[in-house]
Amino acid sequence: MPEGATVPDRIKRLIIDNLHLEGMQPEMIDENAPLFGEGLGLDSVDALELVVAIEKEFGIKIKSNEMERQAFASVAALSRFVEGRLSPHPLT
Amino acid sequence: MEPRSAAASPRPVAVAGIGAVSGFGWGVAPLWDGLRAARTAIGPFRRFDHRGHRTHVAAEVPPPPPAFLARLRAAGENVRRLSLADLFALHAAEEALAGAGLPPRFAAGAGAEVGVFFGSSTGGMWESELFLAGWFAGRRRQARLGSLVSQQVNGPGDAVARHAGAGGPVATLSSACASGALAIAAALDAVRSGEVEIALAGGSDSLCQLTYAGFNSLRAVDEAPCRPFRAGRQGLSIGEGAAVLVLVPLAALLAAGRQPLAVLAGAGSSCDALHMTAPDPSGAGAAAALAAALADAGLSADEVDAINAHGTGTPLNDAAEWGALRQVFGARAGRIPLAATKALVGHLLGSAGALEAVVTVLCLDRGEVHPAPGPSGPDAESPVALVLDRPLPLPAGRVAASSSLAFGGANAALVFTRWAGAGA
Repeated sequence: MPEGATVPDRIKRLIIDNLHLEGMQPEMIDENAPLFGEGLGLDSVDALELVVAIEKEFGIKIKSNEMERQAFASVAALSRFVEGRLSPHPLT
Repeated sequence: MEPRSAAASPRPVAVAGIGAVSGFGWGVAPLWDGLRAARTAIGPFRRFDHRGHRTHVAAEVPPPPPAFLARLRAAGENVRRLSLADLFALHAAEEALAGAGLPPRFAAGAGAEVGVFFGSSTGGMWESELFLAGWFAGRRRQARLGSLVSQQVNGPGDAVARHAGAGGPVATLSSACASGALAIAAALDAVRSGEVEIALAGGSDSLCQLTYAGFNSLRAVDEAPCRPFRAGRQGLSIGEGAAVLVLVPLAALLAAGRQPLAVLAGAGSSCDALHMTAPDPSGAGAAAALAAALADAGLSADEVDAINAHGTGTPLNDAAEWGALRQVFGARAGRIPLAATKALVGHLLGSAGALEAVVTVLCLDRGEVHPAPGPSGPDAESPVALVLDRPLPLPAGRVAASSSLAFGGANAALVFTRWAGAGA
């Protein structure tokens, strides 16, 4: 991932790289489209894989009760959630 | 096992449709064409790196047809979550249902009368091996959690039930290489008893490192394509694939104006109760299963016109099987035409009994016993009437039996009869 990539771009790249979506490119992902069910059509296993990938990419920890529908509704919502967790202070 | 009473089994059960995936390709047609040509599907394979193993051949299924995957996606299946064994099973079920004139998916009400009875040895083991390979190599992106979803041995049968909308009983049997035949026996019981009106019975297994390495470690694999009942045979060859039979009450099929491919007349099983891997060298357990299946069918051994042997090509199996055939058929044992399907598609393990059941149905429906390639000479100690090089016409063949023998000493046998009309 190039330096300075935005959080939504990084999340799109994580989705492509980790979930093996055939023939999908980052620019094909609509930031406001639903990730699950309709839209990208991800399932609950994808959600688990995505959480692991996000934790590693951004150095954050996501608790089970934070994996709620709202935060994971779309790339845009997920980006807001991640940005909110990227504190200026190092995580302890 | 005590022979089941024919009197307690009032409903004759018909084979309404069949489907198969094998090293010959995706469908019954490539299977039957390949078997008739006696051109083995066992050869070099690419699934995984086998340079570290003693042997280097298997009967690998070619990649799934894109149109099939597109149909699955259109039907709402998440193809990324399916194992290869799931895909084999779904294709075989799709073909069998279409052949039976049934829809690919039952409506909610109708599905309650449909059961799925499946055999498998390793389910999604191959996909789990992909996960582990990535995990231990520290390549987390290759170690996809999603690869583990299809790991369970019940995966293929569950996929068939989910896709077909089968809401009746769904069960997976895993008794090693007898699994497919035992699943069909369970389905026969369920249709006879009225527990279900339609059974999707079969099995699926995919080529994976666990079984490839396992049988190699046991030194039970031939370096050449396996040579059942032939002199100098060194062991089996691993294959992969699936087979599904649609079983329905014969009366219901006829009432719908359709003809059966064959009648599933009886099933029997037994256990050697002797050893973890080796068969009882006398073949007594295998003979008991065959005798039980004939008794269940209400037929005598003298009426059997063709045999589909387990015939793995291991020295021990084929010798024990010859012993069983002699016990059941006496002097006729060396004269009944015998097919060794594994010589051409390899050993499908948990799916073998199902695939060989389909081949036995084809034998009666097409009136031919398929050949095996005949490069090596006959085994003087197991002088079966193995059909070689070209199909043997069997136009008057009425009864055919298929045997499956397994690790743990499990034996299963199925007896099919040709449907010759109500007056026969």
